[in-house]
Amino acid sequence: MSKGKSSVSIIIDNKPFQVPKGITILEAAEQNDIYIPTLCAHKELTPFGGCRMCIVEVEGFRNFPTACTTPVSEGMIIRTHTAQIQAMRSDILQLLMSEHTSSCLVCAENEECKRYSGTIRKSGITTGCRYCSNDDQCEMQEVAEYLGAKEIVYPISYRNVRVEKEDPFYDRDYNLCILCGRCVRMCQEIRTANVLAFKHSGRKTVVGPAFGRTHMDSGCEFCGACVSVCPTGTLSEKARKWEGKPDREVVTTCSFCGVGCQMRLLVKGDHVIGSLPVIGDMVNDGQLCVRGRFCVNEMVNNYQRLVRPFKTYTDIRVEILWDEAITTAAEQLKNCPPDQFGMVASPNCSNESLYVAQKFARQAMNSHNIDTTARSYYGSGFNEFLSLMKKSVSLDDVRKADTIVCIGLDTRFGRSVIGVELRKAAARGTRIVTFNSRDHNLTLIAEKWLQPTIGHEAEVLEKLVALTKPGKAAAAPKLPADAGVSADDLACAAELLKASKSCVVMIGSDFLQYENSDHILTTIEQLAKNPAIGVMPLPAQNNLNGTFMMGAYPELLPNGCASSSKASRDKLGTAWKAKLPSAKGQWCESMLQQGSRLKVLYLVGETPHGNKAADFTIFQNIYPPDKAVHADLMLPAAAFTEEDGTFINGEGRLQKIRKAVEPPADTMPDWKILCLIAQEMGIKGFDYKSVKDIQKEIASIVPAFKGYDKPSRAPGPIKCDGTLTLSAPGVENMPKRSKKYPFLLTGSVVAHSYRGFPLSLYVNGAKTIFPEGVIEINDEDARKAKIKSGDDVIVESGTLKGHWRVSVIARQPRGTVHVRLRLGEIVSHNPHAVSMRKNDV
Amino acid sequence: MNDFGNLVDKAKKKWALLSDGKIPVIYIGSATCGRAAGAMQTLEAVKRTLKEKKIKAKVVEVGCVGPCYLEPLMDISAGGYPRISYANVSPSDAEMIIESFLVNGNPLPERALAHFGDKDDKISEHIPRFFDLPMMKPQVRVVLRNCGVIDPEDIDHYLARDGYQGLKKAIEIGWKKVIKEVELSGLRGRGGAGFPTFKKWEICRSFPEKTKYMICNVSEGDPGAFMNRSLIESDPHSVLEGLTIAAFAIGSNNGYVYINCGYHLAIARLKIAAEDMRKCGLLGNNILGTGFDFDVIIKEGAGAFVCGEETALIGSIEGKRGMPRSRPPFPAEAGLFGKPTIINNVETLGILPSIIRNGADWHRQYGVEGNYGTKTFSLVGKVRRPGLVEVPLGIKLRDIIFEIGGGSWKKYKGVQTGGPSGGCLSEEFLDIPVEYESMTAAGSIMGSGGMIVMDEDTCAVDLALYFLNFTQKESCGKCSPCRVGTWHMVTILEKIVKGQGQAEDISTLQNLAETIKRTSLCGLGQTAPNPVLTTLRYFRSEYLEHVQEKYCSAGVCKDLVTYIIHPQNCNGCQQCIDVCPTGAITGRRSELHEIDFSRCIKCKACYEVCRFHPLAGNAIEIRSERRVS
Repeated sequence: MSKGKSSVSIIIDNKPFQVPKGITILEAAEQNDIYIPTLCAHKELTPFGGCRMCIVEVEGFRNFPTACTTPVSEGMIIRTHTAQIQAMRSDILQLLMSEHTSSCLVCAENEECKRYSGTIRKSGITTGCRYCSNDDQCEMQEVAEYLGAKEIVYPISYRNVRVEKEDPFYDRDYNLCILCGRCVRMCQEIRTANVLAFKHSGRKTVVGPAFGRTHMDSGCEFCGACVSVCPTGTLSEKARKWEGKPDREVVTTCSFCGVGCQMRLLVKGDHVIGSLPVIGDMVNDGQLCVRGRFCVNEMVNNYQRLVRPFKTYTDIRVEILWDEAITTAAEQLKNCPPDQFGMVASPNCSNESLYVAQKFARQAMNSHNIDTTARSYYGSGFNEFLSLMKKSVSLDDVRKADTIVCIGLDTRFGRSVIGVELRKAAARGTRIVTFNSRDHNLTLIAEKWLQPTIGHEAEVLEKLVALTKPGKAAAAPKLPADAGVSADDLACAAELLKASKSCVVMIGSDFLQYENSDHILTTIEQLAKNPAIGVMPLPAQNNLNGTFMMGAYPELLPNGCASSSKASRDKLGTAWKAKLPSAKGQWCESMLQQGSRLKVLYLVGETPHGNKAADFTIFQNIYPPDKAVHADLMLPAAAFTEEDGTFINGEGRLQKIRKAVEPPADTMPDWKILCLIAQEMGIKGFDYKSVKDIQKEIASIVPAFKGYDKPSRAPGPIKCDGTLTLSAPGVENMPKRSKKYPFLLTGSVVAHSYRGFPLSLYVNGAKTIFPEGVIEINDEDARKAKIKSGDDVIVESGTLKGHWRVSVIARQPRGTVHVRLRLGEIVSHNPHAVSMRKNDV
Repeated sequence: MNDFGNLVDKAKKKWALLSDGKIPVIYIGSATCGRAAGAMQTLEAVKRTLKEKKIKAKVVEVGCVGPCYLEPLMDISAGGYPRISYANVSPSDAEMIIESFLVNGNPLPERALAHFGDKDDKISEHIPRFFDLPMMKPQVRVVLRNCGVIDPEDIDHYLARDGYQGLKKAIEIGWKKVIKEVELSGLRGRGGAGFPTFKKWEICRSFPEKTKYMICNVSEGDPGAFMNRSLIESDPHSVLEGLTIAAFAIGSNNGYVYINCGYHLAIARLKIAAEDMRKCGLLGNNILGTGFDFDVIIKEGAGAFVCGEETALIGSIEGKRGMPRSRPPFPAEAGLFGKPTIINNVETLGILPSIIRNGADWHRQYGVEGNYGTKTFSLVGKVRRPGLVEVPLGIKLRDIIFEIGGGSWKKYKGVQTGGPSGGCLSEEFLDIPVEYESMTAAGSIMGSGGMIVMDEDTCAVDLALYFLNFTQKESCGKCSPCRVGTWHMVTILEKIVKGQGQAEDISTLQNLAETIKRTSLCGLGQTAPNPVLTTLRYFRSEYLEHVQEKYCSAGVCKDLVTYIIHPQNCNGCQQCIDVCPTGAITGRRSELHEIDFSRCIKCKACYEVCRFHPLAGNAIEIRSERRVS
């Protein structure tokens, strides 16, 4: 073999081939369309050599090597299916079948059974075997067919283990497991979550978390990567279990958070039955988190979907036709003066819908009263968050960074894709520093975990900034003794930052709802002034960048221009052939306030609570509103799986969403409904035939939108001239605990939502992992207060009274409680000193 | 190097002081085999007696000298006598012997086992020389030369007996010559496969990586094998010296000793030994002032049998589950943490110091062409003199079993060599030489040195079932032939021993065995069917008897035997009634007892008590009868 030669010549089954050096026999065979049966090999995973199905004959080898593990070498002579090998493969398959419920493989009635098992009657005559949901998708069936297995030779003995159904999202029937180890390798090598492992030995070997823990307790992220690679029906998605084989796949962008993972929607008939990651993508590289993997189909297929327009007559909802709905809306809107109109759009909407929505408000209604709910999510730090987003680095920079600081970030469930990147980075030697007052999943890989006491985050960060500044650190303010972070730890973290040549600061959601979030974010911005430090804020909303770029705010016009600037207004007006209003717009909170005297409130994909403010509320969404939300007219909108369009993710990447299925029943994309109403009102400029037309128009106004047809894979930082005014200025005086109010309460609003609806409302498993109305209490505090998990507690302070269900967890810092707020709930001050007692009633 | 000379001088002085006879020295064999026989109680009795009688004497705990059936062993050297060994010393015996020997000056020749003195010592008239005992005479002690002789927890003892001279010489002559010397010596891996040690080293040495690992494999897990444990418990320094020499040869600075966590005493002694080495500058940075750095980590494994397999062992050290992986790449190329790694068996490393110290030619005087040197075996089973033995390769099986072991208790049937991966060789193989090739040709393997002797009371099918059960339970479950295949073999064998076997079961067994052998991933799976294949080959008649006649000639298979009370022998002593756990035996005193077979669980308790109790008359017989189906 000559050095530097990149290919080797081998002979497979008497035919010569030139194949690249370093690949395995299996890969060489696959490249040349030679089928070698295999059950444990998977292109994403390292070779395993466990199933022994791919044994081949290689001249000069003592035994029969497995094709999946043996690299090719020059002059190798390989035979892939001699009679002896086939006999041995059959024997191995027989062994596997003897412990795998395999009537689907060898049952003589197989063909007939399938023909008769479909029936329109409630009780079928032929039910078929229903122990495995993986019929037609099973790789063992393929191999059995290839080897022509007709019967099971050895005595059948199933493992007889209980089917594990207690964890959310997927069931595990280890009676069907052939121990190919794909799930284990996926969990350990690719996801690096290390939840799954082989347990026990001999015939009792099974896969699962160690020590008999549940998946929930062992840190499983429910990413479902294991389910995707299972060759049998062992691991099956609860929500997709009996759906069968999908007809086709559609690539789209996940819209559950700002990471912007590319996913393949599995479509069967007119339903999206599941979602899988796109392998090799720049953003998520074959990974999804629990939301993208398991929540899409349940979220868009729920029977409670709003599929027809409704009108409310004094508390009675009546189904109406589109024509009537459009006329009603147009009538109400025509009679509405500009300052009494309000529109709230969702940052989950596509760019096209957002653009049309703000155009509708500005042109049709002549008002800047358009806003999104993101403003209330980010509280006092919204403008700072925007300015950080303008500086956001890309995921590629994260992959190249030598130090990563994670502030308020927990990647277990949401954003576990980022978590995987972080763990991989840590394995490469990247140094990870985490900053969080509560325990989080990244502590495992963190070199340093700065754990400030709640309320002292900003001070600790300020000190860190001062310490990282070049030169003397004497100017740094002194930290109070109860800040929770020792000077040594802080100095150590500062040293790491100083020594770093490329550092990325990732900002999670954990502090964003604090009253002083503006302070915290400004401090982070100061940290980012160091040229070696980049920031990457991780927005919770998938199209937050889109809301800025499309101008879905009273202060912002499309392309991020300030609406206060006359020049900008005029420029846009010329493009639209309309005159834009000069009056300042209102923001979301003031629109929704009691007594705001709005005449018409138009909610595009949002369900803000307490909106009895307006005389007439148009509610446009995919689900009917909560009882607390008053809606006079309900318009059924399409979900992201049912429309075309684009999103801009947190990094600033323009990403496409594609229509996988037709919108169900009478539903329509948001932009289309808006256009119909505008046309009914007689406004010009809303005659778009398809999203293409809108995209063309956007591109003419927003330069960064050019090339929407071929979304550039490289992210561009967003440009935004305008600033956002804040509804709630930050509060600096953090509350102190007192004898009367001994606990410090922090609250987090529902982050896992789509168009204002929490995933936990419509997705079964999400109830377990994204609980609502739960208060987390330290175990020692709970013991002292004689409170158990599941108890109801009443929490009080001067301005707050609430009752929540207790979840006792050791990782909650002592003396503090954390509330996962229900939809629509807010805590007036966050953090908040409170008292707590058990609700004995 | 001067420091080392001083160390050795000091150690030699200390050793000489021990055997100068001024103060009596009492040696107690306190390796695990001794402890199991009660050595610690004996030791306590010795100390107590010395205190009570106000005798000034040194007590030294030594390792295992070999004949385990004689444990606890107590040796005394005093009063101008050479070291005299006493066997099966209970605490009261110890008291008696000490009083007689150290107070009254009578070494009790009739109680003594042997002495360690010279042949022409005058005591030889009364007491045989230890190495002339029938068990010891055919043996050659190279690896075991220090076992039972020195205190394993005292580095000075080892140093005094030429310890670390090998290491010193190795560093002096350089790695090339070390590998050459090992090549010339013909040393082959003692773990079982017999791969030439130098070849592995050369491959590893040829890789340019800076970090290389040297691992000592003490993952001894076969039932009935204890060579490695005994060696480490009795002479840990020889293994560590060998490890250091090997590391020097391959250019490694990092070593591991991978050891079963169940080997508590061995681990403790290894740790002491390593610490002593560090103190003496024999481990750590700049060993003996030569600039060679090497340190060792004692890694405790959880005791899985499969972790004796190289790649599984590596996985285990890396913190993964002990599972073999496919080769290539071989560990010598990419092993622990992806770096070139050499894994050698304890015994291979134990021999190394002697080879380097004495030269290749010295090593080649033992053994035969292609199989040079000695090999230790743990000789157990139905043999009269079980224990740890070391013989030159090429010796006949008969010599080991009959000369050293004293033969089987009842009529000899066969021997299982190589543990669960090995095979069962019948009587006709008694005269084959013990060599790697000949053992493999006979269908067994040399293995790491387990040797289980069977007599006519052992059932070949039951034995095969036992080993198959072991490998099945120890299978890591990674590859399907081993995981499922061995389990099917176990079920079929279980059927056969229950008398439910059918004619086709034997051919199914044979087929399964062949499939597993050919298609399994690692050595454990590939050799797992060996016990069945060899018993099928050499004891086929027993299988046929079980299947066709429901007859177990050894009377072992519970479902095929009945218990019979012979009226002429039963004296009605009621001992069997007392021990019967299910109340199946009834009968009045001095009258014939009866067994109710509906309640009998065939636990053998009555049989044992009737055979051995002084009051009983040996009236119970376990009999299997041929039934023609």
